[in-house]
Amino acid sequence: MYLFANATIYIGLAIAIYTLLILTLGISTKNQRFINSGKGGVIALLVCSSLAMLSLFYLLASSQFQYEYVHDYTSSELPIIYKLTALWAGNAGSLLLWTFFLTLYTVMIVFSRKMRGNPMVPYISAILMANAVFFFFILGFVAKPFVLLNEIPIEGKGLNPMLQNPGMIIHPVTLYLGYVGLAIPFAFAMAALILKNVDDFWIKMTRRWTIIAWLFLSLGNIFGGQWAYVELGWGGYWAWDPVENASFMPWLTATAFLHSVMIQERKNMLKIWNISLIIVSYALTLFGTFLVRSGVLTSVHAFANSNLGLYFLIFMGIAVILALYVLMSRYNLLKRSAGEFNSFVSKESSFLVNNLLLVGAAFAVFWGTIFPLVSEAVRGTKVTVGLPFFNKVEAPILLSMMFVMAVCPMLAWQRSTVKNLRKNFLIPSILAVVGMILMVVLGIQKAWAVIGYGVIILLLVTHYLEFYRGVKARRKMTKEAPLVALYRLMIRNRRRYGGYIVHLGIAFITMGIIGSQNYDLETMKTVALGQSIELKDYRINYDRLDQKKEGINDIVYADVTVFRNGKKLGTFQPEKVFYGNWEQPSSEVAIISSVKEDLYIVLSAWEDDGKATFVVKVNPMMNWLWFGSFMIVIGALFAIWNGKYQNVTPRYTGVRREVS
Amino acid sequence: MRNKLYIGLLILAFIFQGSFIRVEAAKQIDYKSAEFKAVAQQFACTCGCGQDHYECDPNTCSLTTDFKKDLVEMMNKGWDKDKIREYYVNIYGEEILTSPEKSGFSLTAWILPFVVLGAAAIAVFMIIRKWVKKRGTEEAVSEYEDTKDEVEGEILSSMIDEERKKYL
Repeated sequence: MYLFANATIYIGLAIAIYTLLILTLGISTKNQRFINSGKGGVIALLVCSSLAMLSLFYLLASSQFQYEYVHDYTSSELPIIYKLTALWAGNAGSLLLWTFFLTLYTVMIVFSRKMRGNPMVPYISAILMANAVFFFFILGFVAKPFVLLNEIPIEGKGLNPMLQNPGMIIHPVTLYLGYVGLAIPFAFAMAALILKNVDDFWIKMTRRWTIIAWLFLSLGNIFGGQWAYVELGWGGYWAWDPVENASFMPWLTATAFLHSVMIQERKNMLKIWNISLIIVSYALTLFGTFLVRSGVLTSVHAFANSNLGLYFLIFMGIAVILALYVLMSRYNLLKRSAGEFNSFVSKESSFLVNNLLLVGAAFAVFWGTIFPLVSEAVRGTKVTVGLPFFNKVEAPILLSMMFVMAVCPMLAWQRSTVKNLRKNFLIPSILAVVGMILMVVLGIQKAWAVIGYGVIILLLVTHYLEFYRGVKARRKMTKEAPLVALYRLMIRNRRRYGGYIVHLGIAFITMGIIGSQNYDLETMKTVALGQSIELKDYRINYDRLDQKKEGINDIVYADVTVFRNGKKLGTFQPEKVFYGNWEQPSSEVAIISSVKEDLYIVLSAWEDDGKATFVVKVNPMMNWLWFGSFMIVIGALFAIWNGKYQNVTPRYTGVRREVS
Repeated sequence: MRNKLYIGLLILAFIFQGSFIRVEAAKQIDYKSAEFKAVAQQFACTCGCGQDHYECDPNTCSLTTDFKKDLVEMMNKGWDKDKIREYYVNIYGEEILTSPEKSGFSLTAWILPFVVLGAAAIAVFMIIRKWVKKRGTEEAVSEYEDTKDEVEGEILSSMIDEERKKYL
């Protein structure tokens, strides 16, 4: 098994190098046979990475502790599902997963129906193969997944209990799908530049893959936040940790690209900018990996520190330099077709402002993340840049972004006249102002909350009007029933309405964030048996303290009965789990969820006489946040779904080459 | 002599009473209250948890237990969060804070994002102006139809597309 598993990696590396070389040779000599051989290599590489994955799954599932990775991340009593998911618990395994996704995506592109006969294929494959060579090299020489220990231990160290949660099964997978996904638009961009053809076909394909990567990145962040909320016992969902920032930055720049590419599509402008955004998004995925795997920054995410980050930094440097070289060499070609704007007040201009804010937000995150390093280099003082900094700096930028999001759909392409502005914005503005006044009157008086919710009202109204006017216009022509008209309107323009659903999702998330950040309540109290804790409308009766054993773990739990305004909501059991093979205990929180708010109960400590300390939180509007996340996913899926009425992918119109 | 003893006892009682009151007062501060949060959130815990002293769990970190006690003591002395911050920065330096100071080199952390954003905003404004001007010199701009017409146009073209697909 040892030989077989390692062979998958080293043969994989050899195949990746061969495929890269043969594709390059095929491109330069215009020999289709070489290209076909390269395509075979791509499949062989997927086979190698799949076998490597299966090997590691097998070793983990059968608890073969003679392997360092299995020993470090599993133990024999671990449930089988967590034994398997331990594959992405450490450096080597998670990079193997990354490699597997990369090879999978490559095969999907090379053999996709839409790409058949397309001269971009050899270039895209070669660029992705360069990535594959890097990852197989890392797996073969730096972070090896199949290392044997000198002695065979009888038991493994076990998996960090924090990672034994359903959220952790899917969070890393989706995040890596997002990270790897951004390599695809990058490969498309480079191929297009080399072929000197950034046409409609390119836009269509690149946008599609960017939405896919964007969707997975969003899912990764959402699952991560959800996991943090239920598992970590601190009642939060986003901590602006370097690892979180590393995934948020490419999300922001990819979002910027998805908007600015519309200007390219409509007006054949911003080509250089769009390609730059793709390069930056791709580079940020590598840069983030460098940051979190090198140990240069302190993170709550426990990645083992190693020199792995340095390899990512070098690879990123090479990739960016080559990409910029290709971009500069095609500069005149891209610049030549630049168009023009008709007015300052137009949808085009609002997209530029949108890009400004999104990239500005990404820069602020980037700057805050690397500032400890900058400070250390300049002054020798390594400062911490934490939650208070990011909340203060990002809040105004992202709130402005929400405003642009609210306004943009109502602006006309080319030029919005005063009449047009009055007609589109009078009612939404009045409603937003009325809403804000009502909030102040009803007691919501924190400035950020009032402004934030005001902007969201504006957004909801403008988006409602977009749907309403679309349905009205369709009905005028077709006389369909309103719901039929809405349905047909949406499925015939999936991209636009999918985008609006995502906007609405973002609005719900923002409402959740504003509510939970500004109006949360928290208390920590020690009470004797039979006593109760009161917080807001809730009374929590402490009824019983007991302990039980589950496998090798000891669990101490408290029975608490929760009342809201005197009405019994039920009995709940916050727990503290002590693991047989892990030093740190963890809290299993009791969450009583409603549309309005979550009651979050943590059993913090207890004494011999039965007294127990509880941390109780009221987190408003948490379900709005999760609902918004769900809408984002629905919207993105709706936008990329290939329905019956999906526009036909434009025909490739670029230069023809002998090889494809 | 007796008087001295009484005075001594009185002083002792006073001292004990004082400390008793202090302890009582110290107990009254909820570690999860907003006032404690404002103070404790400023300081990074150095136990390796990556959290601040408000979030760090006193049941698993002895460092934060003592730190929290010290904070409560200072709060009971009437110190506000800025004074407590200053006290710790004087001892441990800026490293103990969860966000950089708003002075000296650290000020760049706070202002650079907005300076860059401002500069980029000016650049975007100039670019749009250039493009609009370019357009203006070439031809007069016709008043664009309102959004309703734009939506109608899109619906119409999608319907035409659909019909065309049926026959082609």
